[in-house]
Amino acid sequence: MAGEEGTVIACHTVDAWNEQLQKGNDSKKLIVVDFTASWCGPCRFIAPILADFAKKMPHVTFLKVDVDELKSVAEDWAVEAMPTFMFLKEGKIVDKVVGAKKDELQLVIEKHAK
Amino acid sequence: MAVSGFEGFEKRLELHFSGDDPALTSTMGLRRLDFSLLEQVLHVVQCSVVSAVANQYFDAYVLSESSLFIYPTKIIIKTCGTTQLLKSIRPLIHLAKNLNHSIITCKYTRGNFIFPQSQPFPHTSFSEEVSFLEDNLPDKLSNRKASVMNSSKSHAWHVFTASVPGSGEGVSAESKAAAYTYTVEVCMTDLDRVLARRFFGGTGNSMTEITGIYGINPKALICDFEFDPCGYSMNGIDGDRYSTIHVTPEDGFSYASFECVGSVFDDDDDLVRMLKKVVKIFRPGKMSVATSTSVANDVSTRVNNAMKMVGMRCRSFNADDFPASGNRKLPIKIGTRRTSCIGLDVYWIETLKQSKGLHTFPFWNLEFPKPKVIKDAALAEWQRNQIFEMQILMSIFGRFILEY
Repeated sequence: MAGEEGTVIACHTVDAWNEQLQKGNDSKKLIVVDFTASWCGPCRFIAPILADFAKKMPHVTFLKVDVDELKSVAEDWAVEAMPTFMFLKEGKIVDKVVGAKKDELQLVIEKHAK
Repeated sequence: MAVSGFEGFEKRLELHFSGDDPALTSTMGLRRLDFSLLEQVLHVVQCSVVSAVANQYFDAYVLSESSLFIYPTKIIIKTCGTTQLLKSIRPLIHLAKNLNHSIITCKYTRGNFIFPQSQPFPHTSFSEEVSFLEDNLPDKLSNRKASVMNSSKSHAWHVFTASVPGSGEGVSAESKAAAYTYTVEVCMTDLDRVLARRFFGGTGNSMTEITGIYGINPKALICDFEFDPCGYSMNGIDGDRYSTIHVTPEDGFSYASFECVGSVFDDDDDLVRMLKKVVKIFRPGKMSVATSTSVANDVSTRVNNAMKMVGMRCRSFNADDFPASGNRKLPIKIGTRRTSCIGLDVYWIETLKQSKGLHTFPFWNLEFPKPKVIKDAALAEWQRNQIFEMQILMSIFGRFILEY
């Protein structure tokens, strides 16, 4: 979809989530998933930083999943602390960052974005 | 000792709130505070968030100057350097009020500043801090006490508490559990120089790993931050418990703090293990341990034993009690070894009875008597050994005073 590159794409339904995962697998792009919650202060702290990364790295797909909205997905991916960032490439989890840590996030994104 | 440098010793503020609607306290409570509003409060204190993580129980923020923890009905904020921490009181009370939470307890503690002359208002002296607290807390928090423990030592401990009398023991699960927990605050100075070098970055390896900090509580999720050119902070989260470490490694004013939460239901070994590891990581020349609890008896013994097993010699020990919010009457238990401290406490009780409206206690009257004079040889030996000082704060009206 046009206009989505360069932004963090919110997945509000399981279907939308699966669709984005499939797109990612096909394109071989790195997918960074932000597991977040509306009540999570630390998530709100990192949100603008993540949006900035998305703008600067259009070759990476950034997704956002609210753990209350998509409970089953959060459970499947065993998300306990937040924010949790999962890094996916070609259908596999290649890395994970737990916590709103700007420097670590940047390092891990750059490591896998090639 | 340097003429001036970074002040590692933190100021710590702990605020407890009630929810007017009992249902509210079982949900997110203060965690619903808007993050941008929190940032504004931190700006007033002159610090900012550098890293953060949350779990189902609380939010943990690593700040540019220490840490902030937000629970549904409790806020703990600890800042070092020259931050004006107490300025956060009014805005925090106000923000909580907007969420229908009113303040019921305030506890402010700190050690002795290494560079007291560098502190800004209202932290230029403990009396100034107490004055500021008196002016900025609502009158309904009328059970107040200010005290300096171990005032003759470099590792003195300043305490101010204020609470609403008769607000009743909480009925929420959170406050019931809290009755059996205690916090342990360790302040360390004169860190081993070689070990302290690990907190100067640039190795490409994480300080949390190379120093062994990750091993203090392997179950905890760690959120750390490495400062440039040196310095380190971390928050650990483990269920509803936090732990936090802050390090100022520079020689001349090196400092490290470790704070954690324990429960009387824990294994005795847990605390011993953690404290042993902390001492091994920093090997401080001097260390003080302050424990705060509402379950008096067991905790002081437990911490005392833990410190002995860590291999440090106790140089002095003090205990004091502070009025909690609750329906309990005034002190009912008196220690077996009477000292003139009892005289001070009796004075305090009488003041309370006579002046119902007056709720401030001149802190300079509540100092403990000076410790015994130590012969030179013994002192030299102590200086060669690692020494620690321990203060125990009780927040219920059980009272016992020990001597070493």
